Amino acid sequence: MSDTFYDNWTTQLRKGLLELAILNTLGAGPLYGYDIVRRLGDVDSLVINEGTVYPILSRLRNEQYVESYIEESSSGPPRKYYRLTQRGRDELRRMNTHWTSLHEAIGQLRKERGR
Amino acid sequence: MIDFTPEAKRKFDEYLLRMRFSMQGRRSVETDEVEQNVVEHVQAALAGVPSPVGQERLSEVLTQLGPPERWLPEDERPAWRRWAHRFMTGPEDWRLAYISLAVTILMIVFLPVGGILLLLPGYLVSRAYVELLGDRGEPLGARKWLVLPPIVLLMVGLAGAALFAPAGAIGAILSEIGLRELGWDWDSRAERMRIFTGILSIAVGAYWVALSAVFALLLRPFRALFLPVTTNLRRGHAWALTVAGAIVSGLGAVLLYVF
Repeated sequence: MSDTFYDNWTTQLRKGLLELAILNTLGAGPLYGYDIVRRLGDVDSLVINEGTVYPILSRLRNEQYVESYIEESSSGPPRKYYRLTQRGRDELRRMNTHWTSLHEAIGQLRKERGR
Repeated sequence: MIDFTPEAKRKFDEYLLRMRFSMQGRRSVETDEVEQNVVEHVQAALAGVPSPVGQERLSEVLTQLGPPERWLPEDERPAWRRWAHRFMTGPEDWRLAYISLAVTILMIVFLPVGGILLLLPGYLVSRAYVELLGDRGEPLGARKWLVLPPIVLLMVGLAGAALFAPAGAIGAILSEIGLRELGWDWDSRAERMRIFTGILSIAVGAYWVALSAVFALLLRPFRALFLPVTTNLRRGHAWALTVAGAIVSGLGAVLLYVF
């Protein structure tokens, strides 16, 4: 497999997983944009362009999976926080279930190959 | 709020402008919200950096954010917006080439209602493009099909006008003055045609000889005007016009005095 193919594949995979990663990050509680980016940045090679997070946050809010609110900050101007809505929590549950089954299916395929 | 140096401020404004442009046409995303988040991101990332923040420190943060054009998948936009975006942000040389082609097409479509006026802007864009590639040392390649039409059309138009328009003018003058006024006489219609053609040929041939001298003198600017079509234009071509003029004049004289 060429490096280009691998690079394209990992890029597509990352893009596909970013929404799931953002929703899971918010699963722990409300966060503001920069904090979400920082936390995702801690996950190795998940986010290459940090800016990709912001349009996704906007879309998730438009689709009512998350909601935003402004909170005063002690270390600067007020910040825009995001938190999961009930709809978002339900969707996250479904997505996590799907991800687990997908992960297991791939694992199964790898196991069969190893036989 | 963070204070930026004027250069950094300009760079950030440009970045936000690019971001706004790249978000256009995506109904699911609110540009104002994304912008607000980006501004907050930059402020948070640069918190603690001594003011005013310079271009270098800002660039580090913007590099991490990445180019806004790549934040969302292309297939989220309507096809016409994807095309327009590629056109607006693509390599400059291709943009000029497509502008040139578009102007040429518009010229042809609107030809009956003055579309010919678009030939000059089309030519200017094409020449700018050719110069741009010349500066970069890049060959035209297949892009010549996009940019050469206006240059060829203007060159052929001007050359045609310079060569043949005076023939019409001379013919009209001859008809106006009348050949008898010039001392010529004839017995038949064919005889009149022979005299008319003979005088016209001598005059046009002489004009071509004079034109070839002007052409030889102004060869360099003429070549520069219509590059790359005129790359192979040499002084020999001016001589060819001199010879053609002499032949036409000679044929005219033969018509007048031999037959």
